[in-house]
Amino acid sequence: MLIGAVETGCDFRGLVRQHQAMVFSIALHFLRDRATAEEIAQEVFFSLHRNLDQIDSPAHAAAWLRKVTAQRSIDEGRRRSRRPQVALQDVAEPAIGVKPGDPLLCELLRKLVAALPEAPRMVMVLRYQEDLDPAEIAAALEMPVATVKSHLQRSLAMLRGKLARRGIGESEWTG
Amino acid sequence: MDWLEDELRRALARENPPDGFAERVLARSTRGALGARRWLAAAAMVVVAAGAGGAWRQHQGYLAKREVMLALRLASAPVHRIQSEIRGMTQ
Repeated sequence: MLIGAVETGCDFRGLVRQHQAMVFSIALHFLRDRATAEEIAQEVFFSLHRNLDQIDSPAHAAAWLRKVTAQRSIDEGRRRSRRPQVALQDVAEPAIGVKPGDPLLCELLRKLVAALPEAPRMVMVLRYQEDLDPAEIAAALEMPVATVKSHLQRSLAMLRGKLARRGIGESEWTG
Repeated sequence: MDWLEDELRRALARENPPDGFAERVLARSTRGALGARRWLAAAAMVVVAAGAGGAWRQHQGYLAKREVMLALRLASAPVHRIQSEIRGMTQ
């Protein structure tokens, strides 16, 4: 393993330190549960440790971690889906006055994203947390690029509508 | 840049895991690797024991077969002698 690490640049300790925020945050933003997110992140790195001989470069390690974290998070989300879920349209409007850049707006957006169905939710997390383009998201989630673009457009439109109902729109940012 | 996308990037920015996360992962991975090695060693011992048991049983079978063949040879000697005596008398 040491030889492999030297050859590929994939030192496990270094990979954990480098990617822990990415792995933890994907699970956290998808599930909105810190304890479960940490559990999933640990399992993902444990799985990487067992499969380190299949990793041939640091870039491959990052892509592998992203993909496995997304899959594990979706699996966990499905496991929890026995509990009643709240559709985006049904999310209660918090009685707060949010403004551009307001931390409360961030919290509102996180709640609205968390209320999306699992596929568009993970697409949004990978797009705006990891700044991946649609082709990279499609590769990570093994879905067509057109589906990724469709999820992005529809989710953004829903969020805009939801925010507009609270009087939050582009005018707050431009004017 | 779209205002909503800007706000989404801010809302979904990466967060660090709780303190000590990396240490816990490294400790668990080390424990897991040691555990896997112990399981492999135990499995190897079971295979060796099963193989040795099989070889011992095969050896016991060989000894039993040899004894049966010897018994048959001893039992057939008088029969051969009587047969040849009868053959001599008839000729």
